[in-house]
Amino acid sequence: MRLALALVTLLLAALSGGALSAGAQVPPIRIGFASAMSGPAAITGEGVRWGATLAVEEINAKGGIMGHKIEAYFADNKAQPGEAVSAVRKLADVDQVDVIIGQTHSGACLGAMPVVKEIGVPMVIEACSHPKIRELSGKGGNEWTFRVALDDEIMAYTFARYMARQGVKTSSVLAMNNDFGRGAAVAYEAAFKKAGIGLLSTEFFDPGQPDYRPVLTRLKRANPETILAVILASDGAPFMRQFRELGLSQKIFSRGSLASAEFLHQVRDNPKIGDGVVEASYWVVGLDPDWDKKWTERHKIPPRVHGSLSAITLKWAVVPAIKIALKKHGRADRQTIRAALKEVDVKDSPLGPIKFDDNHQAWINMILLEMRDGQLRILEKLQTSPALLN
Amino acid sequence: MYAMVAAGLALMLGVARLINFAHGEFFMLGAYAFWFGYSELGLPYPVAVLLAPAVMVIFGVAYQRTVIRAILSRSWHVQLIATLATSIVLTNLAIIVLGTQPKEVPTALSARILDVGGFRMAWQRLLVLVAALVIFWGLHRFVARTRTGRAMRAMSQNREACAVVGVDVQRVTLVTFALSAALAAVAAALVSPLFNIFPDMGTALTLKAFAAVVAGGFGYVNGAIAASFLIGLTEALAGSYVSYAYKDAIAFLIMIAVLLWRPQGLFGRRIGI
Repeated sequence: MRLALALVTLLLAALSGGALSAGAQVPPIRIGFASAMSGPAAITGEGVRWGATLAVEEINAKGGIMGHKIEAYFADNKAQPGEAVSAVRKLADVDQVDVIIGQTHSGACLGAMPVVKEIGVPMVIEACSHPKIRELSGKGGNEWTFRVALDDEIMAYTFARYMARQGVKTSSVLAMNNDFGRGAAVAYEAAFKKAGIGLLSTEFFDPGQPDYRPVLTRLKRANPETILAVILASDGAPFMRQFRELGLSQKIFSRGSLASAEFLHQVRDNPKIGDGVVEASYWVVGLDPDWDKKWTERHKIPPRVHGSLSAITLKWAVVPAIKIALKKHGRADRQTIRAALKEVDVKDSPLGPIKFDDNHQAWINMILLEMRDGQLRILEKLQTSPALLN
Repeated sequence: MYAMVAAGLALMLGVARLINFAHGEFFMLGAYAFWFGYSELGLPYPVAVLLAPAVMVIFGVAYQRTVIRAILSRSWHVQLIATLATSIVLTNLAIIVLGTQPKEVPTALSARILDVGGFRMAWQRLLVLVAALVIFWGLHRFVARTRTGRAMRAMSQNREACAVVGVDVQRVTLVTFALSAALAAVAAALVSPLFNIFPDMGTALTLKAFAAVVAGGFGYVNGAIAASFLIGLTEALAGSYVSYAYKDAIAFLIMIAVLLWRPQGLFGRRIGI
């Protein structure tokens, strides 16, 4: 009797174990996205949320990554370094994510970097371009931070050379009064010097403020041939209207997203207002037509730069790393994803090749865009390399 | 812009003895109401300009009935937290409901440039200036000549005495909030064609308007208006000739200097509109 009971128990245990195995879910991979979801820069975070959601849906609809579904988590950094620390802690400690994509804003990136190192969670940067990020990552001391976005120092040298080739002799810099703008201003000061362009003045403005007339008056007084504007699309519309209102005629070169579909959507009553602006960028509508179509169908407005960059970073840098981790180690956790990111070698992302160097910097393509007749057109697409810094 | 918002804030402070830190959000909601009327419903510009204060009068009344009535007799700490909380809630509600995409509302006047001997400005700026002067004249007449206006002035001097002699204190407070909300909305409808409309646009404005109210003499409407012009001019001159990045800091430094020199404000007198 005892033997029969033991056999039945064993049989039940085996059956229940089998049922558990058969019904066991492949564990999901948790990916955190940090950006400015509130405050004056909330437009970037909204774009990131939209882009990430769309990309995750797309990947999961195809069965996930080697059977592992992706779960997306979001955190708000308010574009501030201090808030970025809280955003990382929320994603890493509460949501238990395996990897973070973010933080969109240079100040937030610089604020988050020491915390991702302390916690030990990989962070792949999709859009911050402050030169210090490259210096501090990889062999710079922070093994947990990787950057897909181009560095402003890299872009500044290339853009300044292009401007010099166009015969530009003098320029003034107008930049956002934040880490992105101030980092870019320093980079362009050095790049202009190297390219033989005289820097006549440097002005800063607070993002989101309405009145550009005083700063435009200062630029008018400095009387440069050209203006290098480090400005986002959200500030671009009032800036360009007031630029035309005051009758300024300088040619504008820009960094940020002044020459973008977002800007043209905002000024659709007068799309030619931005004609002649030449922008240095690494993403533009048209690099991935399928993506543009999906975004426009879902959100009824053109794709936004930061949302698209988050999706590209996920699909072309983080997903390949997770695949490598799963193949090599059978699991994708923080350690294995970090190790795998160093092995990512994607040749054909919409941004160009993605392979991280010793500073964990990817050398993607740089694009020069121009607004002409209310349309965007690509002037040049350049393969970047460390040689550009020489 | 500062002056119309500051005038509303000064009215509230004078009559209700309360600083409404959500006042910038009245401006933001007024701008969205104007955008909705002009861009979405396709109303003519003057009609859309009138729609904004009409909507905001209703909002101002609802705000007074819900938030303000509950905190009016409480300590200033409670009032501060409640109005600040309202400001945060309204901004984030706008982000969720209306989205973060800035709204552009250009009009025929904002696109046309007036050029006088090389001095260039959009005609819309001239409209803003003229409309502001007319509104301030009307506000002055209302406060000085009408029964409700006189009650508001009386309440700003002694609320308890007004209640004793039969002034309907609740009704006058309600009118004050409705009027302040309408002023913010008119300002928003006038300047929106020149700028962007976005959820966070009111936050910095509240601080500037508050600075004007303090510098102008704590709840003294004409003082707040004059101080607003002073702050606006200081900002423009500091931005043009000293440093654009630090124009706000310079404006606030001047306010601090004014308060050190005249703690009762530039147009020094006790609270009273």
